[in-house]
Amino acid sequence: MSLIEIKGLKKRFGTNVVLDGVDLNINKGEVVAIIGPSGTGKSTLLRSLNLLEKPEAGTISVEGKEYNLTSRSSKEKLELRQHTEMVFQQFNLFKNKTALENVMEGLTVVKKIPKEQAKQIALEELEKVGMSDRLNYYPKHLSGGQQQRVAIARALALKPNLLLMDEPTSALDPELVGEVLLTIKRAAKEGNTILLVTHEMDFVRNVANRIIFLEKGKIVADGTPHEIFDNPTNERLITFLKNINMLRTADDYVI
Amino acid sequence: MAKLFDIKLVFTEIPELLKYLPTTLYLTAIALVIGLVVGFLIALIRMKKIPVLNQLATAFVSVVRGTPIIVQLYISYFGIPIALKYFNYYHGTKYNINVIPGIIFAMIALGLNQSAFDSETIRAAIQSVDKGQIEAAKSMGMNSWQVLKRVIIPQAVSVALLPLGNSLIALIKGTSLAFTCSVVEITAAGKILAGKNYRYFEVYCSLAIIYWVITFVLERVLALIEKKISIPEQPPEKKKKESVA
Repeated sequence: MSLIEIKGLKKRFGTNVVLDGVDLNINKGEVVAIIGPSGTGKSTLLRSLNLLEKPEAGTISVEGKEYNLTSRSSKEKLELRQHTEMVFQQFNLFKNKTALENVMEGLTVVKKIPKEQAKQIALEELEKVGMSDRLNYYPKHLSGGQQQRVAIARALALKPNLLLMDEPTSALDPELVGEVLLTIKRAAKEGNTILLVTHEMDFVRNVANRIIFLEKGKIVADGTPHEIFDNPTNERLITFLKNINMLRTADDYVI
Repeated sequence: MAKLFDIKLVFTEIPELLKYLPTTLYLTAIALVIGLVVGFLIALIRMKKIPVLNQLATAFVSVVRGTPIIVQLYISYFGIPIALKYFNYYHGTKYNINVIPGIIFAMIALGLNQSAFDSETIRAAIQSVDKGQIEAAKSMGMNSWQVLKRVIIPQAVSVALLPLGNSLIALIKGTSLAFTCSVVEITAAGKILAGKNYRYFEVYCSLAIIYWVITFVLERVLALIEKKISIPEQPPEKKKKESVA
């Protein structure tokens, strides 16, 4: 049995069907990257899993416990949301709190961990993302890359079963992308289960152990980076890879 | 020629007027609370677009902002008793309007006037809070109340503080019109005092000094609070070490 099992996820905006019955199983420790043309529901898929969007149909089971994604019960919603944590494109740090307070917030408010203990956990997580020297900085004092690293620490501190990352490097200056990718790579190496939407194809190839190609709300291809990038069989995937110049050999991405 | 302006009187009258300062402050405090509570409710109604209530709230805000406060005080003072008479007539009750002190009418009128202005400030402040941070808080697993308390209110307060402070200052000065509801606060007391010695100009000078001092103190207090809750411009340590990347 997989750690995460998603079944029949459907979502539309008005008449526009964005997710058309997505089924997806994710095993513990897997790093799954979602790729695909824009507007195919990659972000919507992530956002539906922690109910930032309200899907029309679908279930998710985490460690064998099933949740209905259309549930209106706020108790169930809160419980499900605690299994997943999200890293956003725009970082979304609490701007009136310092880096340390941002990471402690979920620990003390949601998990009700005593302050001292929460601080220890937060310090460890900030250490891992290399932000220990900026503990008392407010988000506005940090660069985009630093903010995103704090956001990753904030998500990991809550020990989610599944870490959702929605284009974590898209809002960054090119020279700051590397530090965030490295942080994600470390999180992956530590055994975190990650579902990631990104346009950094070289990075995907290097870090993800499974890639999903989403088109028109359906999973069209699902395989290892080698299967997806080097031996694509699906017609639409081949077109997509041609469009983004990935069908030729890319040098291994080294950070 | 007799003394046209008795400057000493301006200051010797101040202690006499200050005896009525508690009435002014009491009236201000109650109207402030009514204004904030009703203003918050109106802001919520308008943001959630609750049918019927939304239209009523919009009309209320428009009318209150579009009429002078002195007219509102008169409407409250004369209108509530008329309404009560109708109520008594149709329900066969015998409520007596005369047992309600005039200050209540002034509190209601000033409080509702404040609420109309405060509701717009509160609405703008709440809407100014970044949606992304609200999503971040939700996806952490915070419930609606925690999101409101931990994320929305702290940030909205720092946005709303100055405009709400301005409206409080306007309210303090607005209480000087409460004489229309037969409330004796400092301005009314000043008029009564001047009625005895015909030194109107001096008493108005005394009143000006009192109002200005109150407002001045309030401005300082607000500035202090603002400084306390705002995010410092500079990072804690100036020296920036190279981060490990």
